[in-house]
Amino acid sequence: MSEALLAQEVGTAPAAVPASGARQFWRRLRAQRSAVVAASVVAFLVLVALAAPLLTALEGQDPNTFHPSLVDSAAGGVPLGSFGGISAEHWLGVEPQTGRDLFARIVYGARVSLGVAVFATLLQVFLGVVIGLAAGLGNRAVDQVLSRITDVNVAMPLMVIALALLAVVPPEFPRPVLIALVVGLINWAGTSKIVRAQTLALKSLDYVSAARLSGWGKWKIAHREMLPSLAAPVITYAALLVPQNITVEAALSFLGVGIKPPTPSWGQMLTDADVWYQAAPSYLLIPAALLFVTVLALTVLGEGVRTALDPRSQSRLGGVRRGLLSRRKGGAQ
Amino acid sequence: MPRTVISRRVAVVAASVALATAATACAGPQGDNAASASGAGGKAGAPQKGGTLQILNRQPQTDFDPARLYTSGGGNVPSLVFRTLTTRNRENGAAGTKVVPDLATDLGKPSKDATVWTYTLKDGLKYEDGTAITSADIKYGIERSFAAELSGGAPYLRDWLIGGADYQGPYKDKKGLDSIEVPDAKTIVFHLNKPEGEFPYLATQTQTTPVPKAKDTGAKYEEHPVSSGPYKVVKNENDGEKLLLERNPHWDAKTDEERKAYPDKIEVNSGLDPAVINQRLSASAGTDAAAVTTDNNLGPAELAKVAGDKKLADRVGTGHFGYTNYLAFNPKVKPFDDPKVRQAIAYAVDRSSVINAAGGSSLALPATTNLPPQKSFGYVKYDHFPAGESGNAAKAKELLKEAGHEKGLTITLTHSNAKDRETSPEIATALQDALKKAGITLELKGLEENDYNDTIHSVKKQPGFFLAHWGADWPSGGPFLAPLFDGRQIVKDGANFNYAQFDDASVNKEIDEINKLTDLDAAAARWGALDKKIGEQALTVPLFHPVYKRLYGKDVKNIVISDWTGVLDVSQVAVK
Repeated sequence: MSEALLAQEVGTAPAAVPASGARQFWRRLRAQRSAVVAASVVAFLVLVALAAPLLTALEGQDPNTFHPSLVDSAAGGVPLGSFGGISAEHWLGVEPQTGRDLFARIVYGARVSLGVAVFATLLQVFLGVVIGLAAGLGNRAVDQVLSRITDVNVAMPLMVIALALLAVVPPEFPRPVLIALVVGLINWAGTSKIVRAQTLALKSLDYVSAARLSGWGKWKIAHREMLPSLAAPVITYAALLVPQNITVEAALSFLGVGIKPPTPSWGQMLTDADVWYQAAPSYLLIPAALLFVTVLALTVLGEGVRTALDPRSQSRLGGVRRGLLSRRKGGAQ
Repeated sequence: MPRTVISRRVAVVAASVALATAATACAGPQGDNAASASGAGGKAGAPQKGGTLQILNRQPQTDFDPARLYTSGGGNVPSLVFRTLTTRNRENGAAGTKVVPDLATDLGKPSKDATVWTYTLKDGLKYEDGTAITSADIKYGIERSFAAELSGGAPYLRDWLIGGADYQGPYKDKKGLDSIEVPDAKTIVFHLNKPEGEFPYLATQTQTTPVPKAKDTGAKYEEHPVSSGPYKVVKNENDGEKLLLERNPHWDAKTDEERKAYPDKIEVNSGLDPAVINQRLSASAGTDAAAVTTDNNLGPAELAKVAGDKKLADRVGTGHFGYTNYLAFNPKVKPFDDPKVRQAIAYAVDRSSVINAAGGSSLALPATTNLPPQKSFGYVKYDHFPAGESGNAAKAKELLKEAGHEKGLTITLTHSNAKDRETSPEIATALQDALKKAGITLELKGLEENDYNDTIHSVKKQPGFFLAHWGADWPSGGPFLAPLFDGRQIVKDGANFNYAQFDDASVNKEIDEINKLTDLDAAAARWGALDKKIGEQALTVPLFHPVYKRLYGKDVKNIVISDWTGVLDVSQVAVK
């Protein structure tokens, strides 16, 4: 069994994750404790976001109902009670001034923050792969044009353009979709550059040449030969894009062009909370801590994916592998 | 004529913007405790002359030229340098809404129909260079404000003075305005094209400041305007960002009952971040111990922090400025053409949650009238559609049913995205929650600030239902009600403030009648009665009147905050 394992590992070609590699990927991902913890955190947050209506029903609250009686109106609307008004009815306390339930806003906010980030990432990956592949496989002219467009895209300051675009689009357009679109459309160049470089490297490999010589069309080559090999770098990059996009949504909402009220998002909550850091610290700390944990978990997970997919990191994983092998050996005995 | 009207409206836009900033900024120290109610607040002990007063502000004092300033009652810092024919009474609270003589010996002698106003100057008035102030200089100062290169002031002089509409200012038209006569060096006579009993209020604005013709440098005059007040400008850096004022040795306290002028020097530092100003004032370290602000309020979170600190709470002044935040209807848009729908919304409004959104009960007072709750405006209490503290959803539903909307109603509220807690998303979401209880689904349409201003002030683009606010140029019902409800002030192709496009012959006639009154108290009573009558139409839903809270440094004494400005009066404070 150990021989089979070793054989598999030795047989791993650079940047190629064939069917047998998928299992190997999972195994190597699982081997990293940090990645496992991060994945559990992410899975938990996704579950929370999906179950938001259930969770708030369980608490008996909803994210948009005002509770004027729960704040001290004369003192600027600071929540009554300790720790921002935490109680059996309001698990994380209430929002200053409005008295809206913070737990309900947090779990509904997770939907927006995660949803926008994932949708924007998918868009970035899709555009990046298509443009990168086209540039890598196309003729010189196509490559030149697409590469220059990519360069321009890289040079575009994301926040500035996003601010401008979000300010001119009519307010009727659904904001979460708009933000995902804007972020996705502006920030695809990184993926595209990686895909193009990888495509150019793959193009000169024997099996691709063989496919070309046997008369396969460009699309067939792209689909059958390139995409499977591109999966590793693209998945790795995407895993790192998600947390980046969460922070972009938070920053846009923070700057006042993001999610529209009363829809909660973590970024919008941070915007409103920043002035309350002294008077009602929990109002700021809860969404800030969640954003921090989410971004950290996704980044660690992304790093884990990268490590698991990158054959060159085998040596770095050596310790883990040895441990794994010896345990397996022990198990076999 | 229409051209003038347009320019006037544009100017009023500027006014409302200026007032809005003043409003967000205005928070006067006065301490809402009993001690300050008796008179001067601040550090104990008799105020002494000397020291340097620091003013920490957000907005720079740009265009420091009396022709260009748009002020209410002569302004804060400008009033230290520029004296005017009349000025505001420098006293706490309601007494501070009175207009009193400044350069003139009285509030002006009106002709019988209030179209001619005659002022006589006091004796011994001098500029900072020792030369005498003459009535011809006041005439020249007013004429300057008509020059295109010195625009920025209020539109009233142009609208009211005979020949004002076409006058181009003294640089182009050397002959001057015939409607301002100066029979001798101490007398000045104004001829108006219609009765204006409130002319003494207008004479508080900096345009009536004397400007010596020989010293006029046109657009450059703002760098060193010649002082007629207790302080002269020594330094003006970066267009009013940093100002240094020192004593004007030729100012005679005997001619000036209003300005106390205790500090020897006054330094203005502006362009500062609001949070930085409040942090510096609360720390009150070094020179900041002698610091005040004339344009930066405490926000709700800062108030929450201050409320928990007795020492800080003692250094907060409270000010009221005549200002109303309200829901505006345009009855030309369905379903707001139906008075029952408008009344239903008036009943459904939850003022307690709106006030919390505006910063809580310390920063906002519930409003049920258009006029601010001050005597000088002629305030008459009324509540035609009583919603109670938290809304009367049952009554609102009943009215909606009568109006044929028993299944509920979906409407759109337009608001701005400005972070001002006045027309901002916080207020809109509070209303959304309250109206839901009455079966009204409120969809929110937030517009970027400039877009919002363009939209609500254009008759063509104006939505049916939006958040609005209004503050008057002086504490009277006239500049409050006339722009909002005078049918002749509807502007079809400019900035319109009569949002309801309300044109009622009896209301228009009453406005004209009140303008003839020179007894300001009698006029105030009539404005109040008129407001009550207009209120029956449910053209607006008044929401709240803002209250301004401001910190001041620990060495600051003699705090005076009038209801005219709502701001700590910098001509009264002492730092020794």
